[in-house]
Amino acid sequence: MTTNKNAYNAGIMAKEGKAFHEEFFAEENQVVKESEAVVLVLMKSDEIDAIIDEMILKDGKAENPSLTVEDKAGYWWIKADGKIEVDTHEAGEMLGKSFTVYDFLVNVSSTIGRAYTIGDKFIITSELMGLDRKLTDI
Amino acid sequence: MAISSATKAATDALSANRAPTSVGAQEVHKWMQEFNWDFKGNSTKYPTKYKMANDTKEQFKLIAKEYARMESVKDERQFGTLLDGLTRLDAGNRVHPRWGEAMKVVSNFLESGEYNAIAASAMLWDSATAAEQKNGYLAQVLDEIRHTNQCGFVNYYFSKHYHDPAGHNDARRTRTIGPLWKGMKRVFADGFISGDAVECSINLQLVGEACFTNPLIVAVTEWASANGDEVTPTVFLSIETDELRHMANGYQTVVSIANDPNAQKYLNADLNNAFWTQQKYFTPALGFLFEYGSKFKVEPWVKTWNRWVYEDWGGIWIGRLGKYGVKSPPSLRDAKQDAYWAHHDLALIAYATWPLGFFRLSLPDAEDMAWFEANYPGWYDHYGKIYEEWKALGCEDPKSGFLPLQWLAEKGHTVYIDRVSQVPFCPTLSKSAGSLRIHEYNGKKHALTDDWGERMWLSEPERYESQNIFEQYAGRELSDVIIEGLGVRSDGKTLIAQPHVDGKNLWTVDDIKRANCVFSDPLANFK
Repeated sequence: MTTNKNAYNAGIMAKEGKAFHEEFFAEENQVVKESEAVVLVLMKSDEIDAIIDEMILKDGKAENPSLTVEDKAGYWWIKADGKIEVDTHEAGEMLGKSFTVYDFLVNVSSTIGRAYTIGDKFIITSELMGLDRKLTDI
Repeated sequence: MAISSATKAATDALSANRAPTSVGAQEVHKWMQEFNWDFKGNSTKYPTKYKMANDTKEQFKLIAKEYARMESVKDERQFGTLLDGLTRLDAGNRVHPRWGEAMKVVSNFLESGEYNAIAASAMLWDSATAAEQKNGYLAQVLDEIRHTNQCGFVNYYFSKHYHDPAGHNDARRTRTIGPLWKGMKRVFADGFISGDAVECSINLQLVGEACFTNPLIVAVTEWASANGDEVTPTVFLSIETDELRHMANGYQTVVSIANDPNAQKYLNADLNNAFWTQQKYFTPALGFLFEYGSKFKVEPWVKTWNRWVYEDWGGIWIGRLGKYGVKSPPSLRDAKQDAYWAHHDLALIAYATWPLGFFRLSLPDAEDMAWFEANYPGWYDHYGKIYEEWKALGCEDPKSGFLPLQWLAEKGHTVYIDRVSQVPFCPTLSKSAGSLRIHEYNGKKHALTDDWGERMWLSEPERYESQNIFEQYAGRELSDVIIEGLGVRSDGKTLIAQPHVDGKNLWTVDDIKRANCVFSDPLANFK
């Protein structure tokens, strides 16, 4: 069983049959529970696969150990506490070509959290942008 | 020749500050904040009771040039993959037949949702006052047009390359008789485009897109891949690359009303109604399509639902907004009951009404049954035994004359259609949340099946008057209805729908006619 609470099959998701049923219908699980996590779904492509290998699984994981990446056939499923940030200028240097946030967005399939772009950076955060604080401008 | 003082001044200024040869897209976006829309005469089809602030943002800083470039790259990659590599691999025919049939429903129904979302986001463009928010909605209108075409293209592709194109090629013609169509239109049309504009945004963006597109458009691709379908992941993951901006639009809609004291009066009720409306259909429909429309199972639907709906949407979207007064939807408890059982209820009724569909269904085999029982303890005794009895009675064989719909009626298992959600419901066999209740209004009886839909109906009964197939065709013989409802293939007699995926021993209208199955309206007979 995985020890990373953000893993795809962590916690209740590792349970089967009656054990899952019991926890799913437990009284404490009948209301939503606030989460500080964010989820990012990246559609696989040459560029995204390299960004996963060379950036997210290296510096990204080093900076945020709660980060987990899982291979879900056509896409990468990524979950982390707090935020996930991708510097597309750095990605461009690694890929050896011009690569902007708009190039990155071509393969960003889903986000759960508040996602935005600023300059060369794509950021998804658990912060409530526009409520807790203003959305950052360039 | 002497130059004018104005030209000299301009030349000197340019010498000191060279004009930029290129400008970053985000800088352009910043300069464009200077411009705004003219709101004089701004009107919308359905105004909103909320006061929308005018300082909200479009979080991705789109400008037309980058938007167009980004979307064209997406299309080039998608169509390039489909029309080149995947065609050489005969991808359309490598799909497991069960999944090929499930995709007839998924892609046709999503197309309808995307089409209605065009109007929904245009209505929100009308309602919003913040320039950036309008910009976000405008891009969404264009996205939804793209998605409608993409879903249409999935059906077109399968029509050309899949071995059983009937249902992929023209599903919409069966919309009058198909038991699943009207519920789909309730969530994908009525929920998105009829009523208060912000309430529609909550239905479309905060619940439909931020919550249910993740299983519908993302998780579905893992099921597709497991069942040999390389077409759907290519298209659907590309569709979803626009959805994150739509989720952000929904979030900014909430931000725009968060500081309106009056919003607190309405927001939680609107959120609960939207959540129940969307889950009432999507929860059973997606679970049915994933689990009963696949040979190779990825994980139990209830786990997919727990991850994407309860933990992530509930915790990361709704839970985080708690300090701004947003409450956990009170219908969540019943939604969880539905997440566990409602798709099994729907599968049973879908199989019983198979002749009215536009896709082929297959009975769970021994391997499926063991999987269902392991993951939903109690499944076999409640549902499995019925499927075994139907199989023994010859439900797959056109010569048997056996129709499960008649079996249900003979055993006293009456099927009602919920007036609000249009989801079929069999009170004597249902394990999902709710129970049958019948109301009368304007001389007509209405079946309702849960507390939350009943509340919505009681507050606006005039909104939910759609006639269901049992009312529409009461007294009519089934094969006549199928012919009239265009449920036959191009030979004019073989049904589009079939109760198996064997590809032979296909049922015709003559086989149906021999069974002499006559529609009756359970509401007319209800005492």
